Amino acid sequence: MEKEIVIKFDNVTKMYKLYKSDKARFKGLFNKKVPYKKNYAVNKLSFEVEKGEGLAFLGRNGAGKSTILKMITGVAYPTEGEIYVNGKVSALLELAAGFDLESSGKENIRLKCNLMGMTDEEIDAVEQEIIDFADIGEYIDQPLRSYSSGMKARLGFAISVNSNPDILIVDEALSVGDKAFRKKCTEKVRKIMADSNVTLLFVTHSLSTAKDFCQKGIVLEKGKKLFEGSIDEAIAFYEERE
Amino acid sequence: MIETFKLIIEEHISFRKQILKLAKSDLVKMYRGAALGWAWAVIKPMVTLFVFWFAFSVGLRRGGPIDGYPFFLWLIAGMLPWFFMSEMIVGGAACIRNYKHLVTKMKFPISTIPTFVNISHMFTHLILLAVTIALFISFGYFPDKYYLQIPIYMLMMFVFFTVWSLFAGLLSALSKDFQNLVTAFSSAIFWMSGILYDVNKIRHGWIRLLLKFNPVTVIANGYRKAFIYKQWFFEDTEELLCYCTTLFIFILAATWAYKRLRKEIPDVM
Repeated sequence: MEKEIVIKFDNVTKMYKLYKSDKARFKGLFNKKVPYKKNYAVNKLSFEVEKGEGLAFLGRNGAGKSTILKMITGVAYPTEGEIYVNGKVSALLELAAGFDLESSGKENIRLKCNLMGMTDEEIDAVEQEIIDFADIGEYIDQPLRSYSSGMKARLGFAISVNSNPDILIVDEALSVGDKAFRKKCTEKVRKIMADSNVTLLFVTHSLSTAKDFCQKGIVLEKGKKLFEGSIDEAIAFYEERE
Repeated sequence: MIETFKLIIEEHISFRKQILKLAKSDLVKMYRGAALGWAWAVIKPMVTLFVFWFAFSVGLRRGGPIDGYPFFLWLIAGMLPWFFMSEMIVGGAACIRNYKHLVTKMKFPISTIPTFVNISHMFTHLILLAVTIALFISFGYFPDKYYLQIPIYMLMMFVFFTVWSLFAGLLSALSKDFQNLVTAFSSAIFWMSGILYDVNKIRHGWIRLLLKFNPVTVIANGYRKAFIYKQWFFEDTEELLCYCTTLFIFILAATWAYKRLRKEIPDVM
């Protein structure tokens, strides 16, 4: 059976312009001759992900993993090349961030779901589920500035996994919270992967977790793809290089 | 350029629901946490008005009636739009920075941030407008047909400052210097825009014309036309033409900035 491609990177390059200062950057807006250094976070990268697949990105810090995930989320744009993403992306990037600190937990749930393009009816349907999953009790009606970082992360995770995504992006997120919550998260991710054919993209330094969730792995170094294959091979390759 | 302009419009159409939601939450946020809450929308401007009234009528004793209206009412008619405009000159420049989490943490069209911020301030403006009309009534000046043009000036104000906020917001997101520049100039704009005097009474013709290219002047004057002068907005075509020219220039500038910076802003912030 022909599998559906949900994410496709075609020769994608992401170059960050590093100016000497903010002033130089501002000048650079008007004058293209202002010098800057080029930093290639992702360099001529191509890969495809099929629906329902779990893909892990392995690599050291600065290998370009987060940049790739950001580009899939739509937060960053590629300098060159094409990215094709099909489906609703829910990202667990920096769980504690992206909230409005002055609004209550409940309001943030609605706002975030709204921004993800959900209709009011859809939100009504999942709201209780999110509240139950986050399990932060009375605090749900309090402004977010009174939350601990763990509570914010729990709320963030609860929204992301309960908003019926097609593509779930997990960036070290499963390492937040206490052991019980971590277990709950892991189970939840496993459950939605099994039930609803969700595509999972995973970035972690914990190789055993990666093995748990993913079938495929890509090893990156300095923005380039060194290896692509089954997760076991990728882990073996990665460990050998270490 | 045209494509970027089209993109901005498309982003607004596809995010129209989210824009309204965000405007609402921006509004709620503005006044929450304060015991007096919504009253601040009125108290802040009233304090400013009182200070000006005191300085001119009591201190300088220059506050003679204008066109048969007490100086105080003449002042309010021009200050009313200024409260919105001053918020948006500085707030517009800061808007993208203030909503950083929408830019760097999720997929969200940056071009719509200025729009919802302006919409939320428009609500505050409506409250002030109601207070102003009530004040005029309490002085015995009742609404007449000239009040009908207020929505037109409100729209002109909204459109111009949304465009301004996009332009200034993008540049400020890139460089804090630009934001400081805007803040530094905001009080200059106040004194140069004919809010405390009638621009049409300036003796030098070229200065008078130059000032009309400033939308702040045109809009403040427009509110006075409705409240005090009892003129129609189409009577002074020169003024309208100047407004449109400036608006067009800023649309070009904002589109250019969006084209250049749309993809770079998330990386920089």
